[in-house]
Amino acid sequence: MSADVTFRGVDFAFGTAQPVLKDLDFQVGNGEFFVLLGPSGCGKSTALNLIAGFEFPTSGEVLAGGKRIEGAGRDRAVIFQDSDSLYGWLTVLDNIAFPLRVTGAPRPERRERALASVKLVGLHGHEGKYPAELSGGMKQRAQLARALVLDSPILLMDEPFAALDAQTRSILQDELVQLNIHMKKTVLFITHDIGEAILLGDRVGIMRAGPASAIKEFIDVRLPRPRRRGSAEFGELYERIGQSISDEVRRALQREDSLLS
Amino acid sequence: MIARPALLLTGVSLATGIAAWWVASHALGSPLFPSPAEIVASAKELVRTGVLLSDIAVSVKRIAIGFVLGCAVGIPLGLAMGLFRPVRAFCEPIVQFLRFVPPIAWLIPAIMWFGIGETSKILLIFYMTVFLVLINTMAGVSSIRRNTLRSAETCGVDRWQLFWWVVFPATMSYSVAGARIALGNSFAAVVGAELIAADSGIGFRIVESGKWLAMGDMFAAILILGLLGIAADRLVNELASRWLRHYLPPAEQHVG
Amino acid sequence: MRTAARDHHGRISWFGYAASLAAVLTLWQYGSSQALIPLLFPSPISTWRTAVHLAQEGRLVTDIAASLQRIAIGFAIGCFLGVALGILMGSFRTVRLLFEPYVQFFRSLPALAWIPAAMVWLGTGEESKVALLVYTTVFVIALNTMIGVSSVPLNQLRAARTFGATRWQLFYMIKAPATVSYMLTGMRLAMGNCFATIIAAELLAPKAGIGYLIFSSRSWMQTEFAFVGIVILGVLGLLVDRIFHLATTRAFARYLPR
Repeated sequence: MSADVTFRGVDFAFGTAQPVLKDLDFQVGNGEFFVLLGPSGCGKSTALNLIAGFEFPTSGEVLAGGKRIEGAGRDRAVIFQDSDSLYGWLTVLDNIAFPLRVTGAPRPERRERALASVKLVGLHGHEGKYPAELSGGMKQRAQLARALVLDSPILLMDEPFAALDAQTRSILQDELVQLNIHMKKTVLFITHDIGEAILLGDRVGIMRAGPASAIKEFIDVRLPRPRRRGSAEFGELYERIGQSISDEVRRALQREDSLLS
Repeated sequence: MIARPALLLTGVSLATGIAAWWVASHALGSPLFPSPAEIVASAKELVRTGVLLSDIAVSVKRIAIGFVLGCAVGIPLGLAMGLFRPVRAFCEPIVQFLRFVPPIAWLIPAIMWFGIGETSKILLIFYMTVFLVLINTMAGVSSIRRNTLRSAETCGVDRWQLFWWVVFPATMSYSVAGARIALGNSFAAVVGAELIAADSGIGFRIVESGKWLAMGDMFAAILILGLLGIAADRLVNELASRWLRHYLPPAEQHVG
Repeated sequence: MRTAARDHHGRISWFGYAASLAAVLTLWQYGSSQALIPLLFPSPISTWRTAVHLAQEGRLVTDIAASLQRIAIGFAIGCFLGVALGILMGSFRTVRLLFEPYVQFFRSLPALAWIPAAMVWLGTGEESKVALLVYTTVFVIALNTMIGVSSVPLNQLRAARTFGATRWQLFYMIKAPATVSYMLTGMRLAMGNCFATIIAAELLAPKAGIGYLIFSSRSWMQTEFAFVGIVILGVLGLLVDRIFHLATTRAFARYLPR
């Protein structure tokens, strides 16, 4: 089954306000790890919401696997930046098994598959805890485990590591890379961190500052995995992307200033 | 480390309070101002004759029935109002208006309709509980984070599943909060009703003692009321933190 | 799933409000006409007529004024004492340990239970009612103020210390403003208590007041009086709530934690 994602001439605006996205056009290939990089307020989360099916384009179309997206669904798993999508009244294991409960899998199977997911993300030993008892990093692992349990072909991640401290972030980035080597899912990953983009992505889309944003430039990251943050090639790419994005960041800041004053 | 002196201080404080009371009552020397000894004696007498226990039983029964019924109506209604616009639109004016009318104001009409019996008291408790639970439940529904719902949607839930497995548990903590407050207020409501129009119950005991100027009895009843209130509150807290701990909002989960 | 409480346009529109209010009133009118004994369940119309009649007699104003006056005095005294006590308890650990058991105990012991005692000691006049109102206000406000004083963010105090602030300055420049929102919460709760208490007190020792008005219902077998009283209570409650809301969101907005 093909799990590619296509944006075709997509516009998006909230009601009659200024458009957030204008003429957004790109494709994420089957099994590709695509990173959407951009300053705050550029609409990258909105793009993710469109694929997830939480919002609908004002014009143009968004396709997954060649079919138009009609709403949220099991083929597109989402990992949110905040962990408020985890259910506080369920244990970690129950949270991870939740999608299976929805699909009607029998209890033993649910438990087995959820435990497998737990091990995959390194939460073994913590599955009996409740979200309130977990650290930020563990909560994101739990979200990841839950997202993986249905084996959805497409994975949407909205700045999942942004709220974590640098060390935890680094560890989780490496683990994500390791995981995806085997699973080869189609991933759309959102971030504002250049280093993260280079580390994780096969291809990076740099978004313009909003409003009416679209992708300014595509950059291929052809470094072999696993990648080293300190390598020369890494540094070169960082420079290149940094230059491209710094204009956008500056424009975004100016816009924020003018909005506030 | 600090607990010891603190406990000591509290003990000293209570002892001083009781001593001061004792001194004051003897200084005034009036039958209208009973000493701690008299109060204890009255309490013992009331317990011995079984009067106090039956008063407590009656009051507690009224509270229990009104409270349970109130929750049974308040929670579904609150959920309905939180989820369905037409329901909310219809009920909101009544709710927003009546929430400020103290239950005791309804006592006289309730008596005129249902007589002095149990119904009028239970109705008051029910009324107060429904409003508190309803308003809190409604607040609970609107406090559900968007991502909580969205993550369920990505699993492909249908409406029933979304409601039962996500919306309902997520709202639970707010409903419980409302119920706790309602229970606390129930004592005041039932006593108020019993003061004015009853022939049994703690409130009745208080006002009846007043008529006979049996202040020892009155104070014994008041003391029991205070202790009952504290006990009920502790009990609810215990139960809530034991069984419903994970349904409570995250901040409260860490406490106790 | 869109929940009614959170749709894009926020509040229910005024039109929708008015429409449902009209629907409710119509239902009430219909319901009362179906009652077995019309005397017992008055319709909106007869309630309104009674209210007008009472207003013309001058009784309505007298009753409302009587109740409000008692509440005003009792609440004011209670606030004053409560805030003072709360600040002391919040600032000095010893004071807190000494008084907290009493404050907690009396806070949970409803003022209603003390009505007969108050009547025995202070008679059935104004004194007993005001005393009860003071009781029902003091402890709630003391507790909330106490919590407010001890909830100041530590780093705010530390920053001030690096500027060389004295203990007194710390108090009135930082702690006092921080306590405002807690005091307001306490006041809101205390007001609710006052209304409940005054009605009960006036029912037991009727001498003018809204409670007296409701009480008259029974003597005259006219439920309209009670309903007029109930409606007035609702309106007053709404007004007081609005005032507090405005106070917290406008006048004192900058004192509240964001």
